[in-house]
Amino acid sequence: MKTTFRSLAGALVASLLTASAAVAHHSFAMFDRSVEKVATGTVARWQFNAPHSWLYVNVKNANGSETLWSFEGSAPQSLLTRGITGSTFEPGATVTISYCPMKDGRPGGGLGWARLANGMFVNPSDGGCDGSPTAVEKWKGWLAKGYTSSAEAQKAK
Amino acid sequence: MNLDRSLRWVAVATFALVVFSAPPNLVAQPGAFGGGYGPPLAVMPPPKAFATSDEHYKFLLAAAKGGTKQTITSVPRWDGLWVTAGNSHMSSFIDPPGFAGKVREGVLTPPYEKAYKERWRQQQELGEVQYDRLTHCEPVGYPRWLLEPYSHEFVNLPHESYLINDFGPGIRRVYIGQEHKNVYGTHSWYGDTIGFWDGDKLVTNTKYLLPADFTRWSPMTSNQFESVETWQLKKYPPDVERLEVQVTFYDRHAFIKPVNAVYAFRRGKELEAAGHRVQHWECETSNNDVFDKGTTTSRLPGEAGFKDARGTTLFPELPGQSRDPIYNTTLPGGKESK
Repeated sequence: MKTTFRSLAGALVASLLTASAAVAHHSFAMFDRSVEKVATGTVARWQFNAPHSWLYVNVKNANGSETLWSFEGSAPQSLLTRGITGSTFEPGATVTISYCPMKDGRPGGGLGWARLANGMFVNPSDGGCDGSPTAVEKWKGWLAKGYTSSAEAQKAK
Repeated sequence: MNLDRSLRWVAVATFALVVFSAPPNLVAQPGAFGGGYGPPLAVMPPPKAFATSDEHYKFLLAAAKGGTKQTITSVPRWDGLWVTAGNSHMSSFIDPPGFAGKVREGVLTPPYEKAYKERWRQQQELGEVQYDRLTHCEPVGYPRWLLEPYSHEFVNLPHESYLINDFGPGIRRVYIGQEHKNVYGTHSWYGDTIGFWDGDKLVTNTKYLLPADFTRWSPMTSNQFESVETWQLKKYPPDVERLEVQVTFYDRHAFIKPVNAVYAFRRGKELEAAGHRVQHWECETSNNDVFDKGTTTSRLPGEAGFKDARGTTLFPELPGQSRDPIYNTTLPGGKESK
């Protein structure tokens, strides 16, 4: 029984990892996937292109200035099957997203989930960050407590 | 911490994730991408061992008595959209398949095994191989083409088949009933593929390929890489149509002995329902991923070298020169410079 569980766990985890790693066309080495953050801003552009989509968002800084952030998501061929189209993020719309930041600190990251202005969550992520239903559920709890990074949430535990 | 209890939780959580985030009949197979449509895939090794792909192909051609002569009305039709439906790829090189596994011994020659172990070390220690040639928008090429996701089309004509992946795009041409030709005297990303029909099975032989890699976490292949493939459409209850590709890879530089694998595609019904049509997504002008300082990264808007996939052409003063006519957004650095 123990062996069966070990095999099952190993095989299933391997399958999922393999599946996610295979989706994208390039390495995700630029993103720190051990960190998840949340940002809210206005959509500058939703670039629904293959091999990767990009969501560009203007995010307000503490001093009132704005920074254009760039978030990489999955390819249209994958996103269409998740109900995401070229008009899901319209310019000027407010959006909240989760992301795994670029390791070098530039204003960008791998896109996780996104919450649209109507409150609906969608999953535009590729292998750069986790936008799965599991991640959304986790973050719903964290957002309710006011956390904006996985580090904050884990520290509070 | 009790390891077995933890593993049990991992199994349960992972299974739940698979079941609740996937189409109803999907259960992933180990080492598979999009696997689980239809029964588990099984590798079918060739009827005997062959030293070269030529020898293998000629044996199959002779067994098929020169091949079935198809006409425009008899040639098997695989029209429509297809997506990947699993493969045994990782099992060929990693034991057990999955990112916790180890490089399988006895498959690769010493230099290729050494190089692969370094790639695998990066994958396991850094969580990602730092370099991927697709970063630069190099073509997918073969054999990687067999694994790539996105959408596929397969067009069969009596004298030629077109095997298409929309990424790139990557188009393979199979010349039916012909001999290999290489008038350019060089190798290429998709090489030269000939084939014949054996009833409803398409048998191919590919050679003259550029050295490349299967994927960023897979072994490298040499310029002597060749293959023999057998394609067949199979149907499983209740309504699964799966194109199964039994492949034998030959590479005297990279492999100790030929490697057998199976790849599959299923009908992309959900893509068709979502209105997907294959486009020419041009990677080079829309991609900002680069290999820099030893790792993959991306140029962002406003940075030197940033390419705006939806900016303006060289002639922004002319009306209608935006590549984003619906929303007409602009980003820093979004205009091409003359």
